[in-house]
Amino acid sequence: MKRVLGRLGHAAFVLWAVASLTFIMFRLMPGDPTLNFLSESFSEEMRAALLTSFGLDKPLPEQYVLYLGSLLRGDLGVSFLQKKPVLDILLDALPNTVALTVTALVVAYAFGIIAGAFLAFARGSVTEGIAIPAALITRAAPEFWLGMILLAWLSFAWGIFPSSGANEAGSEFTSEWARLTSADFLWHLTLPALTLALYLQGLPLLLMRATMLEVLNDEFIVMARMKGLSRWAIVMRHAARNALLPVATAFALGLGSSFGGNVVIETVFSWPGLGRVLVSAVQGADYPLAQGAFILIAAVLVTMNMVADLLYAWLDPRVSVGARR
Amino acid sequence: MNRRSVLLAATALTALPRLPALAQGAPGDAIRPLVLITRPQASAPAAYQAAELVAQEWRKLGLQIELRPLPNQQMSQVVWYERQRWDATMWQMVGRPERGDPDEMVYNLLHSANIVTGYNFVGYSNPEYDRLAEAQRSEMDQARRQQIVREVQEVVNRDQPYAFLVHPVNLQAFNKQVFVEGSAVNQAGLGIRNFWNWISLQPAGRQRDIIVNSTEPVKATNPFYVSGAPDSWVTDLVWDRLMRVGPDGLPQPWAAETVTQPDPLTIDCVIRQGMTHHDGTPVTVEDVIFSYEAPGMGDESPMYKPFVQNIASVTAVNDRTVRFVLKRPDAAFRIAVLAKLNIVSKRIWAPVVADYLNRPQNLESYVEERPIGSGPYRFVRSRVNEEVVLEANPNHWARPKADRWIMRIILNTEATLGALRRGEINVLADYFGDPDLVKTMARQLPAMIAVREEVDIGFQFIGMNLRRAPFNDAAFRRALSAAVNREMMAGAAWNGQAVPSNSMVSPALAAWHDQGIAGRVPGGNLDGARRLLQEAGYRMVGNRLHYPSGVRETTTPYQ
Repeated sequence: MKRVLGRLGHAAFVLWAVASLTFIMFRLMPGDPTLNFLSESFSEEMRAALLTSFGLDKPLPEQYVLYLGSLLRGDLGVSFLQKKPVLDILLDALPNTVALTVTALVVAYAFGIIAGAFLAFARGSVTEGIAIPAALITRAAPEFWLGMILLAWLSFAWGIFPSSGANEAGSEFTSEWARLTSADFLWHLTLPALTLALYLQGLPLLLMRATMLEVLNDEFIVMARMKGLSRWAIVMRHAARNALLPVATAFALGLGSSFGGNVVIETVFSWPGLGRVLVSAVQGADYPLAQGAFILIAAVLVTMNMVADLLYAWLDPRVSVGARR
Repeated sequence: MNRRSVLLAATALTALPRLPALAQGAPGDAIRPLVLITRPQASAPAAYQAAELVAQEWRKLGLQIELRPLPNQQMSQVVWYERQRWDATMWQMVGRPERGDPDEMVYNLLHSANIVTGYNFVGYSNPEYDRLAEAQRSEMDQARRQQIVREVQEVVNRDQPYAFLVHPVNLQAFNKQVFVEGSAVNQAGLGIRNFWNWISLQPAGRQRDIIVNSTEPVKATNPFYVSGAPDSWVTDLVWDRLMRVGPDGLPQPWAAETVTQPDPLTIDCVIRQGMTHHDGTPVTVEDVIFSYEAPGMGDESPMYKPFVQNIASVTAVNDRTVRFVLKRPDAAFRIAVLAKLNIVSKRIWAPVVADYLNRPQNLESYVEERPIGSGPYRFVRSRVNEEVVLEANPNHWARPKADRWIMRIILNTEATLGALRRGEINVLADYFGDPDLVKTMARQLPAMIAVREEVDIGFQFIGMNLRRAPFNDAAFRRALSAAVNREMMAGAAWNGQAVPSNSMVSPALAAWHDQGIAGRVPGGNLDGARRLLQEAGYRMVGNRLHYPSGVRETTTPYQ
C-alpha cells in the first residue's frame, strides 16, 4: 500500500510539473492568441477585448493561480478558438484515439510476441534472415510513408478501404458506442490501425526474440526438452511466459506514449483524434486546449507507467522483494 | 613630356569612365543586409519559393538579402506588434465575399489612420492617397467611384508601398456524375466555393448530398463570431443576411426584398414576407434591428463591432421596413455591412446578450446546442476535425436543390484527391496541392470530373517597412518591385495557378480593377530597376549597393 501511495504522490508531482511547464511554455512563445483574428478591421480595442475575454489581461502569477485552482476542480477551461469546454473537446476526440491506439498496439504486440518467439526458436534459419530485416525496415520507415503506400494501394488503386475520416460522410448513429462498434467505423479504422501496427510491431518482436533467446538457454527449458515436450509446448507454455515480462512493460509504456504520438497517422488519414487537436491548438496559440491536451496525455502516460510498475511487481515478485529491501 | 606629366595623364585617363559618378559625389554608406520575412516552406511552399525568387533578383541589384522563415504566429507578432523592427515581409490577403467591394482593401490597408495599430503595418502615409480612399468611401455614384478607385491604384503603382506579386487562381473541381454540370455557379473571385453554388447544385442521381472538402476545421458556429474561413462558409448558409454578394461580385437583395437609399445617409430595407427561423418562428423587423444592435453592445462581439459603428440608428418604419441612418455616407455599406451581418432570432439571443453583458466572457463564448438561423440550410451537427453536416431547409424561399451539405475535414492533399476519385467527396473546394494532379485526373476521368478555375480576390505581396531606410525612398521601392519577375514566379512558385499582380484590386473585380496595371510597374524589369536606382543616386561599389551620396546607414539591422 505504501508503495502504491508513493507512486500516486510521484504521479501527482509529475502532473503538477507538466501543468506548470505547459503554462509557462505557451506564455513564453512568441505571439499571442489574438493574432488569429488579424483582419482589416482589427484594432487595439478589439485586441484588448479579446485579451480580457481570454483572461490574459491579468498578471501572470494571478493567471497561474487561477489555472491551478481550476485544474484542482477538474476544470480545464474553455478553448480560446472553439469557445467550448476543453474537456468536452478532448472527450470528443478521445474515443477515436483510444480505438486507434489500442487496436494498433494489440495487433502489433500479438503479432510481435508470436513472431518474436518463433524467430528465437528459428535462429539461424532463412526465415530469420528475411524476417528480422523486414521488421527493422517497417520499424525504421517513416509512418507517413507507410501510410501513403497503404493508401495508394489499398484505397486509391484497389478501392478496398476509405481514404480518410473515421466514418462515412454524414452517417448517423444512435450513440457514440453504436458509432464505435459500427462496421463503418471499423472499416475506416483498418488502414490507420494497420499502419500504426506495422510501425509498432518491431519493438515487441525484437524484444521478445532477444528475451526468448536468453530464456531458451535456461535450465528449465533444457529440462522441458529432456522431458520430450513438443517444440510448440516448450515455446508457448514455458519459454514465452517467462520472456513476456519486458514485453508487458513495453506494452503499457507504448500505450501511454502512443496517445499523444499519433499526430502523423492522424494527419495522413485525417483521423479525428487527440494528436490533431493538440497540433491545431499549439498552432493557434489556444492555450487552454493545448494545456488540457498535454495534461491528458501526461496523465495517461503517468498512469500507464504506474500500471507497468505494478504489473511488473505482480508478474515478478522479485521486484517487490527488491523494493522492500 | 617628363615622367611626372605622363603619370598625371595616365591617371586622368583611368578616371575618365567614373567622371559622371564623381560628379554625383562619393557614394553613401553600403546598404545594410536586409531581411525578408517569410512563412516556412513547410507551411507555405509557394510563398516561400516566391520569397526565394525575390531574394535572388534583389541580390542582383547588389543587395544582401537574408530570408527569415518564421512560424505564422511569430511572423504576425513581429509584423503587427513590432512595427519598427523588420525590413520586408511576405504577406497575403485572402479572398472573401465581402472583399468584392474594394473598400476593405483600399481604405483599411493603406490609409494613414491605420498606421499605428491597424492594417497599414508598412507605415504608408500619403495625403493624396488618404483623400482618394476617403472619397471612394463616400462617393455614391458608381461611375465616379470606379474612377476614384482606379486613381487609387495608380497612386499605389507610383509609390509601391507593397511589391504586389500574384493573384492566385483557385482550382476547384466537382463530380459531374453526381451534379448536373450546368447547375454549378461560379462567383467572381471565389470560384465554386460560394453560397450560390451550394444552393444551386442540382443532384443528377441518387446521391443528393453535397460533400465538400476543407483543409481546416470549423471551430465555431456562432452568428456573432467567426474564427476562420470554414466557419464563415457554415454561417453563410445557416443565417440569412439582408443582402448577399452575388455571383457577379455585386450586392443584391436577399432577406430584404428591396433596398433603397433615399439619401446618402438613409437606407431602407423591406423584409421579405413569410420568412421563418429554423424553429418555425417568423423573422420580424425586431429580429433585424436586434441583429444590428447586438454587435455594438459593450464588447460582446469584437469581430462584428467595427461594422456597426457607422450606424447612427436602426429603426422600424413599419412591420416590414427597417431604416438605417448612417453617421457618414458609406458606399460599401451594402457589401460590408448588409451582406455581412447575420439575422438572428431576438427571442433566442436577447436573453443571452443580457446575460453575457454581466459576465467576464463575451457573446463569442456562447455555444448554441443546435444553432438556429433562417438560412437555406439547417444545422445538424459539427464534429471538430471530422465534419459539419447541414440539411436543406424545406421552408426557405430559396430551398437548396441538394438534401444535405457536408463539409469533410481532410488534411492530406493526396487523400483529398483519392476521396474525390472514390466519391467520398463530390466537390473539391479547398485545394493547395499540385494543380497538374487535378487536371490529369480530369483528363483521365472526363465523364466524372469537371474543373473550374477562377482568379482569386486575394493577392500575395511583399510589405516593405516604410519606417526604415532605404524603404522610405519611393524610388528604391519602385526599383525593388520592378526587379520581381512575376510571370516566372506565377509559373514556378504557383505552378501556373496565379496571375501577375500590381494592385490590391484583383482582376476578378472587373468593375473596379485597372486593366493593364500589372504591366505598368515602374521600371518594368531588372534592367529598369538598375536604371531607377542609378537615377535615384544609388551606386554599386564592388558588388554592394550603396545609398546616394551623403546618406549614412543609421538603421539598426533586424535581428
